[in-house]
Amino acid sequence: MDKIEQNDGTNRDELIMQQQREIEKEISDSTPLVSEQLPITCLNAEYLGDEVFTSKIQDLAGKYKFLRRTRPDGNCFFRAFAYAYLEHLISNKDEYLRFKDLAEKSKDKLVQLGFPSFTLEDFHDTFMEVVKRVDPASGSTDQVCDELHKVFNEQGYSDYVVVYLRLLTSGKLQEEADFYQHFIEGNFTIEEFRHQEVEPMYKESDHIHIIALCTALGVGVRVEYMDRGDTHVKAHDFPEGSTPKVFLIYRPGHYDILYPN
Amino acid sequence: MAGSALRRLMAEYKQLTLDPPEGIVAGPVSEDNFFEWEALIAGPEGTCFEGGVFPARLLFPPDYPLSPPKMKFTCDMFHPNIFADGRVCISILHAPGDDPMGYELSAERWSPVQSVEKILLSVVSMLAEPNAESGANVDAAIMWRERREEFNEIAKRLVRKTLGIPS
Repeated sequence: MDKIEQNDGTNRDELIMQQQREIEKEISDSTPLVSEQLPITCLNAEYLGDEVFTSKIQDLAGKYKFLRRTRPDGNCFFRAFAYAYLEHLISNKDEYLRFKDLAEKSKDKLVQLGFPSFTLEDFHDTFMEVVKRVDPASGSTDQVCDELHKVFNEQGYSDYVVVYLRLLTSGKLQEEADFYQHFIEGNFTIEEFRHQEVEPMYKESDHIHIIALCTALGVGVRVEYMDRGDTHVKAHDFPEGSTPKVFLIYRPGHYDILYPN
Repeated sequence: MAGSALRRLMAEYKQLTLDPPEGIVAGPVSEDNFFEWEALIAGPEGTCFEGGVFPARLLFPPDYPLSPPKMKFTCDMFHPNIFADGRVCISILHAPGDDPMGYELSAERWSPVQSVEKILLSVVSMLAEPNAESGANVDAAIMWRERREEFNEIAKRLVRKTLGIPS
């Protein structure tokens, strides 16, 4: 690629962007895509001497037994959600079958919504392959959980799962554009928002992404918010009033997975 | 990761061979390396580039299609959205956030469901309708805006050059 990178001064902005990407990549590559289960108190090391956060970690440790970190690469919400939900399905066979059926049929729906079937296919195929690899009937719970962990740390599979969830999210936003339009800040149309903030990899997720994905899949998610305000972590369920199957912790800019007591 | 990229590139190559868009030929430079393609693009009819056949190279990253390829014309080009060294500068070759040219919000960006075909069709549109607001080649952008006749003359010379006709 060196030939194309050669610059002539007009290209300085691109070089700066490239350098920034390399720095971000270095940070993110040092974190596994999805970590092992860790004690909640592992968070303390990041906030030594910080009373607000220390008290919040204590609060969180009363409700949750473990945390699983995800790589901070902008895809963390989607990766964390997919991992935590598939892990939930390993011990919930009926719901696994419901989800597998919904996932199978989702491709035709996206094509109907206007996604190009040719490029969609690869992502759907890989997504279904991952779903089938964690079939609760394929082994003991421990074996299937190991398989899940393995497949989510293989970048090729893990990233394609993220892409497919992004497409499902984008599809939901389009399907119910009139509703979601109200949640979009700034001058974005739904169409622009989907192409700029949802479909491309590495773009961070906001409430609107979470609501659209949870609604599309019929899965409740609880997010515990840990920021500077108050002394307790604040929980929020998406969609409101649902029974959460997936538990996540949000710290400004990043999502990790939680395991309730 | 490169495995899924290779699979996708092979599928795209097959698709482009079976059902090529008008005025576009594209494929790997060699069967040993699917990550470098050559494309031939016919200058769109009714424009100053009509009649020309413009060769370009596409370089695909190992994480394609999560990230877009880079594209560079290998012939002499004079166009507001092509750098002097041939690099093509259009929004679909960039992910949102990468904004060397301050593209408009509505401009089409790279995402994993885009394809080589979509890129090449965008390049054909770019040849037909330069975007003089985001100038990769400022001289070309100014000439396009203010001295169209002169711009058309240069384009016609480039067309003859790609066909090997002495100017």
